[in-house]
Amino acid sequence: MEEKPEKLISDEGIRVDGRRPDELRPVKMEVGVLDKSDGSAYVEFGGTKVIAAVFGPREAHPRHLALPDRAILNCRYHMTSFSVEERKPLGMTRREVELSKVIREALETVVFLEEFPRASIDVYIEVIQADGGTRTTGLTAASLALADAGIPMADLIAAVAVGKVEGQLVLDLCDVEDKYGEADMPVAIAPRFNSIVLLQLNGRLTPEEFKKGMELAQKGIAEIYRMQRETLKKKFSSARMEA
Amino acid sequence: MPVYFSEHEVVLPGQLLSDNGKRSGEGTYSVGGKVYAAQIGFAIVKNNKVTVIPFKGAYKPAPGDRVIGIVSDVKPNGFEVDLGRHLTGIIRVPDRAEVKSMNLKVGDVIYVKVRESGLSGVILERSTRIKKFESGLLIQIHPVKIPRLIGKKGSMISMVKKLTGCDIVTGKNGLIVINGPSPKHEFAAMKAIQLIDQEAHTSGLTERVEKLIKELLEK
Repeated sequence: MEEKPEKLISDEGIRVDGRRPDELRPVKMEVGVLDKSDGSAYVEFGGTKVIAAVFGPREAHPRHLALPDRAILNCRYHMTSFSVEERKPLGMTRREVELSKVIREALETVVFLEEFPRASIDVYIEVIQADGGTRTTGLTAASLALADAGIPMADLIAAVAVGKVEGQLVLDLCDVEDKYGEADMPVAIAPRFNSIVLLQLNGRLTPEEFKKGMELAQKGIAEIYRMQRETLKKKFSSARMEA
Repeated sequence: MPVYFSEHEVVLPGQLLSDNGKRSGEGTYSVGGKVYAAQIGFAIVKNNKVTVIPFKGAYKPAPGDRVIGIVSDVKPNGFEVDLGRHLTGIIRVPDRAEVKSMNLKVGDVIYVKVRESGLSGVILERSTRIKKFESGLLIQIHPVKIPRLIGKKGSMISMVKKLTGCDIVTGKNGLIVINGPSPKHEFAAMKAIQLIDQEAHTSGLTERVEKLIKELLEK
């Protein structure tokens, strides 16, 4: 178990991992990483590593769940048992079931489900290594995987957490800051229309801090959105128009 | 009328394409009088509509499309046809006796036309004599790659047909039936089609397909 550091933010305003308060962790993104899926993505935020895979549109199972006018979106957020410091038992915990639901609801706001009546679109998010911000990283990866699968959607989703650590607002919390900080607020936004698709808050923020935190999140999200678009463009830039 | 993309540019979901909401075509959507891309693909202007040609994606049935399907169920009032992936088409036959006389069994591979597609499902055209494949190799590729497989005025597919001597029938849903003089020729055609599927958007594809077929046939 990691010990609580004496100070989470140094007198010079540098955080435990050497970042400034408004700085993201090093981000790595890749799409099309899995052969057998229709679309996939790998996203890394510092020590947090996530793979997302999309299957579908395919026949909905069990069949009675299929809707006559639109597709159903299934989402499974799961942490591998080796992703955390102490081995996580197999299967879905209460937390994972809940996160699957909020991620699904965020994705449903952008995907045009009515294009595929009676079908289902399945999104699987596997956390390979967890170091804080897995739901936001998972959502970022899932939206990339959906776009990679060619599923019609209104926009990509970019997500990041903001929090309060030792009285100061910081962007993109790592695990230690999340555990010993005062507040953690994951935010997901579809940037085209600036619509907030996921917003949770653990801990306490004053209304002013909340406003400032949202601004900080928006800044981070703009950066992540830019990286997402770059990643997708890069994959298909070799494509040429023929026929 | 201004557009916000260059011809054949790769666009991403959410990208602004046009200021005129009435020009929203396939692969796009319009909100507040503006057109945005809904899929990754090439943006083009077709019939004065802004359209995105996707790189990947599912087949969307449209009336008049010719598709290949596998009969998956025979019912008193018709047939259910598996069109690959998530789609199931139906052939409605009002008369029970006629169902029998059409002589279709579960597992038969047929070539049919889409009559209508909507919330009531995919309805396939009913004719007394539906084309049934008695033999051949059935393969599946991405439906969005079918236009590339056919090529400009059928140039690509006719080249594959000529070089391999195979008869190739393509369904818009991505299923393809190959009938050739020998398994070797059929295999060569299959490999060529799979190459087109994988490398549909690269240049110099025609030459590579030609080379591959010749190599495979010489072995």
